[in-house]
Amino acid sequence: MNNRRFLFWTLTPGFAVLAILALISIAGALYFSVMDRSLRYPDYHFAGLYNYQRLLSDRRFLNALQISATWEIVTVVGSLVVATLLSVLIFETVKSFWLRNLICFAFLAPVLLPRVAAAFIWRFLYSPSLGLINYLASLLGFGPVEFLANPSLALMSVAIVDIWQWGLFFTVIMLKLLETLPKDPIEAAQLDNAKTWEIHAFVTLPMLKAPIISLALVKAVESLRSFDLIYVMTGGGPGTATETLDLYAYQAGINLGGRISYASAMSILLLVLTTIVFTLIWRGIRKWSV
Amino acid sequence: MVRLIRSSLASVVLALMVFIALTPILWTILGAFKRLKDIVIPVPKLFFSPTLENFVTILQNPSIRQGLGHSVIVVGASVIIGALLGVPAAYSLARHVRTLKGDLQFFVLSLRFMPPVAIAIPFIVLYLDLGLYDTLAGLILVYLVTTISTVIWLSVPAFERVPKEIEEAAAMEGCGPGEIFLKFALPIAMPSLFGALVFTFVLVWNELLLALTLAAGNATLPVVAASITSLGKEVPWGVINASTVILVIPPLVFIGLLMSFINGMMKPARR
Repeated sequence: MNNRRFLFWTLTPGFAVLAILALISIAGALYFSVMDRSLRYPDYHFAGLYNYQRLLSDRRFLNALQISATWEIVTVVGSLVVATLLSVLIFETVKSFWLRNLICFAFLAPVLLPRVAAAFIWRFLYSPSLGLINYLASLLGFGPVEFLANPSLALMSVAIVDIWQWGLFFTVIMLKLLETLPKDPIEAAQLDNAKTWEIHAFVTLPMLKAPIISLALVKAVESLRSFDLIYVMTGGGPGTATETLDLYAYQAGINLGGRISYASAMSILLLVLTTIVFTLIWRGIRKWSV
Repeated sequence: MVRLIRSSLASVVLALMVFIALTPILWTILGAFKRLKDIVIPVPKLFFSPTLENFVTILQNPSIRQGLGHSVIVVGASVIIGALLGVPAAYSLARHVRTLKGDLQFFVLSLRFMPPVAIAIPFIVLYLDLGLYDTLAGLILVYLVTTISTVIWLSVPAFERVPKEIEEAAAMEGCGPGEIFLKFALPIAMPSLFGALVFTFVLVWNELLLALTLAAGNATLPVVAASITSLGKEVPWGVINASTVILVIPPLVFIGLLMSFINGMMKPARR
């Protein structure tokens, strides 16, 4: 009996708060998405699926969808590639414990920076007239590059900041994972005269399959929350070149006259999309790692 | 010979990566001590006469001082409440729940899938109606979604690492579940739990979107910092650098802790 009461009092408060808050936001967003509520007028009426219909023919929305997808792919793949290459490099070349720890400390620093701070730091570095990067580029003979004002470079320039934070962080985690692996399979492969890259490509990295997939999932979830980075660095511009879905929803729902209902419909579509994709991935991970 | 070239190439690459990791941060710290005339020049200066002007400007700016205060209140309250509700729940989840454990953990994780805009927009309307708009209490309430779920998510493995034998022995001695939790599991898991709390702290300390949409009138530090850029035409780069440094200090203090947390999580769990 005592056991049951303990269980009830430990689990209920936390999960109740979570459930209520989640329910309020989802139910609220669903409700407003079928209304025509805007912050400018106090009254609103039922509008059916009008908002959703308009979304599907809204070119700015389709553009944002495409940019969000590009952003997800570039940052997830970029972070994992950087982390894999660097962690293997450190694992193979740096044998001193202290040096390894020192490198890890340096690589952990960027991810701890608030996104707003990271955004400012890099805006300063990217600046065409007084930034460090353009100064270095000019030493090498390149003209000033408009990293953030050039529509075809802007998204990649912001993605580099994200990879700077997460790729280096994942390097540390992957290095720790490599260190925990048993030595026997690696030694066996060395006896077979396998080259170093072959050992990692065919022995160690396949052994780390499950944790690497979880890292990808974590990164994919975190990449969805890049509003702060993009908002401070480009504000979605130039034009709409870096406008992801959450930026557009923010602009529509809060900045441009508060079209609450339209933004709600957008966030519901975003929610449905991410839930479907991540639930499938989560199922896949559990099947794979068992 | 080939070996030598290869290993020195590797050192160069690694040195370059450490340089890339740290230079942006160090450059910003340097910039925080520069006068504007030392910043707005085509050739970057490594040596200059340092000044504290920028920090004075910032600390005298009422909105930044208030932002700091608001951040401390909001982040402090939401992390403490998150820990009080999340840690016990995580313990029960780790030790006592069997059939529903996977589902409950997925529910907690799925809250992280929710786009922040999807949380923000309904709460704007709700808070406008309830009079909670632009209040710190409203922001704390919304942040609980992040803090409780992150605390639960990270604490479950921490409790799973506590050796079961200790708890079983305590139960044999006649300790109730509450006593076992408080006297045995909690102290043993404390170091990892602390890491989880620090991670949660960093997440909400850095949060911008919800703070910007729900409490712009009582802005937290990230919101204030984000608004500095739009202070007119002349960009006060020195001041921006200084405020970035102030924003960065609290999370960076925890770098050692994060390191030991990662080390702890990577050790194979004892069963």
